[in-house]
Amino acid sequence: MYTKIPTVVNSGKNIPDLNIVHAERIKQYKDNNMLISYDKYLGDYPEIKASNYVTEAWNIGDLDGKRYSLPLDIHTFQMYYNKDLVKKYAPKALDDNIVTFDEIQAAGEAAKKDKITGLGVTWFKPNFLSLYAQYGGKLTKNGTDVTLDNADGKKTLEKYVAMYKSGITSRDGQDPAQLFQSGKEIFYPEGIWMQNQVKAAKFEWGMINAPQLSSDLSKAVNWSSSHQFVMFKSKDRDAAKTKAIMKFIAWVRTHSQEWAKSGQNPASLAIKDDAAYKKMGQSFLINTPEEQATMKIFDYKYNGFVADSLDKHVGDAIFGKVSIEKTLQTMQKEVQGKIDKDQANKK
Amino acid sequence: MRKNKLGSRIIAFTFLLILAIIWVVPLIWGIVTSFKSEAEFSTIGFKFLPINWVLTNYTELLVNNASTPLFHWFANSMIISVSNTVLVLIVVSLSAFAYDRLQFKGKNALFYFLLATMMFPSVVNIIPLYKIIDLLGWVNTKWAMIVPGAAGVFNIFLVRQFMSNIPISFDEAARMDGASDFTIFRKIILPLTKPVLYVVALFTFTGSWNDFLWPSIVFNDIDKMPITPGLQLLQGMYQSQPTLLMAGAFIAIVPTFILYLFAQKYFLQSMSLSAGVKG
Amino acid sequence: MDAQVEKNNIKHVKKDRHLTPWLFVAPHLIIFAIFFLIPVIFGIYISFTNWDLMGSPKFIGLANYKELLFDNSSVFYEQLRTGLKNTFLFVVISVPFCIIVPLLMALALNVKPKLGKFFQALFYLPSLFAISAVVIIWNLMFNVAYGPINNIFHLKTVWTGTQPYAWIAIVVVTIWWTIGGNMIIYQAALNGISKDYYEAAEIDGATPTQQFFKITLPSIRSQILYTVVMTTIAQFNIYGQPLMLTNGGPDSSTSVLLMYIQQNAFGSGQSIAGIASAMAIILGICIMIVSAIQFVFLRDNSR
Repeated sequence: MYTKIPTVVNSGKNIPDLNIVHAERIKQYKDNNMLISYDKYLGDYPEIKASNYVTEAWNIGDLDGKRYSLPLDIHTFQMYYNKDLVKKYAPKALDDNIVTFDEIQAAGEAAKKDKITGLGVTWFKPNFLSLYAQYGGKLTKNGTDVTLDNADGKKTLEKYVAMYKSGITSRDGQDPAQLFQSGKEIFYPEGIWMQNQVKAAKFEWGMINAPQLSSDLSKAVNWSSSHQFVMFKSKDRDAAKTKAIMKFIAWVRTHSQEWAKSGQNPASLAIKDDAAYKKMGQSFLINTPEEQATMKIFDYKYNGFVADSLDKHVGDAIFGKVSIEKTLQTMQKEVQGKIDKDQANKK
Repeated sequence: MRKNKLGSRIIAFTFLLILAIIWVVPLIWGIVTSFKSEAEFSTIGFKFLPINWVLTNYTELLVNNASTPLFHWFANSMIISVSNTVLVLIVVSLSAFAYDRLQFKGKNALFYFLLATMMFPSVVNIIPLYKIIDLLGWVNTKWAMIVPGAAGVFNIFLVRQFMSNIPISFDEAARMDGASDFTIFRKIILPLTKPVLYVVALFTFTGSWNDFLWPSIVFNDIDKMPITPGLQLLQGMYQSQPTLLMAGAFIAIVPTFILYLFAQKYFLQSMSLSAGVKG
Repeated sequence: MDAQVEKNNIKHVKKDRHLTPWLFVAPHLIIFAIFFLIPVIFGIYISFTNWDLMGSPKFIGLANYKELLFDNSSVFYEQLRTGLKNTFLFVVISVPFCIIVPLLMALALNVKPKLGKFFQALFYLPSLFAISAVVIIWNLMFNVAYGPINNIFHLKTVWTGTQPYAWIAIVVVTIWWTIGGNMIIYQAALNGISKDYYEAAEIDGATPTQQFFKITLPSIRSQILYTVVMTTIAQFNIYGQPLMLTNGGPDSSTSVLLMYIQQNAFGSGQSIAGIASAMAIILGICIMIVSAIQFVFLRDNSR
């Protein structure tokens, strides 16, 4: 989908004055010299500053000392849980606000005899990336080449394979969303943006950090992404339009309730202490600075290639159709091959 | 001999009936599922028919459409498919008339060249076509789907075959009376070509309505999309609500189905006259 | 009317005669040139470049083709092999069904059984649907826990996730979705065969089987050739069914070439349009070669 933006910018036509893009894209746009920096205009808006936004979402727009984007929201892949089932099979799991893989395993074992699934095997990309980061895995060492086929990648897949083999997760072909919705699944990792769907459930449910290795919050990782405002280069954008854009972004900063109501977390901290917002499930991620620090945006330049590859191959490994080693090799080769091509093309 | 006929009819009927069951079960299952409540579908094991028939899936999609722009998609698809069909009918009937009835230098060579390009798979030009649409400023607009579809050759071939069965004496009589080529086309040939034009309209409309790969490339603005790529988005958004998805699928089917009911009676007639195809 | 004017008129009309045919064909030819011919030529050119949809394409000669066809360390070489293999496999399995099933349907309908009109409408109906609607219906049909197929036959098959079921699912959906068009063509063709042939054959004591091979099949030869070629081309362009049913899995076994082409050119990462274009050209050449072979083979066979 996103490949369309570059062509539009290049043709110099039909450029909207302000665009909303995903955080992972910004490096690529900047590398292609497509973005205008906000630096000149920020002087008039002292409130648009780091301390008023979630740090992770704010930092993304800062490249080589210049500001290329301003954050709208930060959307996180976390975990829904069925309160009744947690009470029954894992009464202590929620004590510290972190559910570890070990706790999930134990709950799943206990629930097995009642044909209740412990954990839903959901979207591969964020599940893989957040566990990989918990093991200390890095997607790249030098900023260009990908590093997937390593010990951390192996541990990540092994964890999921072991859980699948032990029978505590949703099975191949089963729909984890459906299982959760019908009250047959305890833990269901999904994005905060899926709240409107989960709402239809007929039982009490809650939201908590994605599955973690350790119950130490400072080590927790929750995969996140962020919608960011960028200005693509355009001849049509005059000073008046730019002014209007800045006014709009400043306005959004203090009027983010509507965005929050749709289930998202605004990147602006303006409504952090708002009573209505605090009642919303997703607000747990913003409430404390420690919790904010768990949100990680994977902004590797070739994130798009990694995403396509993970979504295509990780399932084969988890469901035992392809060995862990081969899966990692395939993904490493696939992504690196595309990177090499892109690098060669840019020369 | 009578007996033989009766026997073959019974065998044919039985054979068709078995196939019909295979064909109809997914449809009925889909329709009845769209009238089940989500809770019933996911909690009460497998039941073919709903216990309680509900309309909530349809109202959710059509009335509470703040989150799903199904109405937009539907309207977009309507505008695109109708415009594309009208454009194709005009372009195709004019060309077919010229290739069948008029004489001009290089006519046959040109026609066979066009036929040969039909062999050329459309995948080859998707990437450059996108660039051309972009140069024209048509990305995210309905034009991107209305105009390129009229470049096809198949329909010209179909209509020309049909026209060639209309006796040439009709034109000659009119020409004696001083009618121009365009008058002959409009007053004589076009009315007689109607049956095959219905079929072309049906093919074009359904083709345009159902196109999937191309619109998913040229549209990234959700509100401007037609319904076919929209449904795939819906699949991502409501993966845990299959009853709702079913309702969406059946809403998307309605217009082509209605058009088919109108065009159906011309089907065999046009095909038997046109399909005398010689490879 | 004076003679001079008359003469001028005729001249005028004559000149007109040369021009008017072109006016009739012009609208189509213009659209054809802009949206088919130029893109095809441009597409062939792109396949010789390293274009990324952004900058201007740089000519790199045969490098893309060399890499795709001979460089077995390249990931794109593997993509092409896997994609082509899966595409061919699908064509080989699905095309015979897409010819034989509708032919049998048309033969059965041709003896005018009860409810014939209804059957015809029913079999044609799915081809009116968008692929995304078709897949929504069938995904639920094949659903492991809630689907009618597993429940009625008491199976636990993971249809879209394991082989050979993934291919079976894709082929079943394809047949269900697409055979309507061919059925109508055969029906029309069978309608056109004169009854005299059959009566004469019956008097000579020919069995129904003999009649089928000696009269029916030769009479609809051109329609069969036409549908074989067109169906093959259509199935080479398979994309929506595996994308939405299996997402190319398990283990890339249903990843067809068009999926790779689409992902390389328009995927979530940086665009690699140059090599994607070369892949498309190779697919195009394969389609043309296969069409040509079918053409020659089926033609000679019938003589």
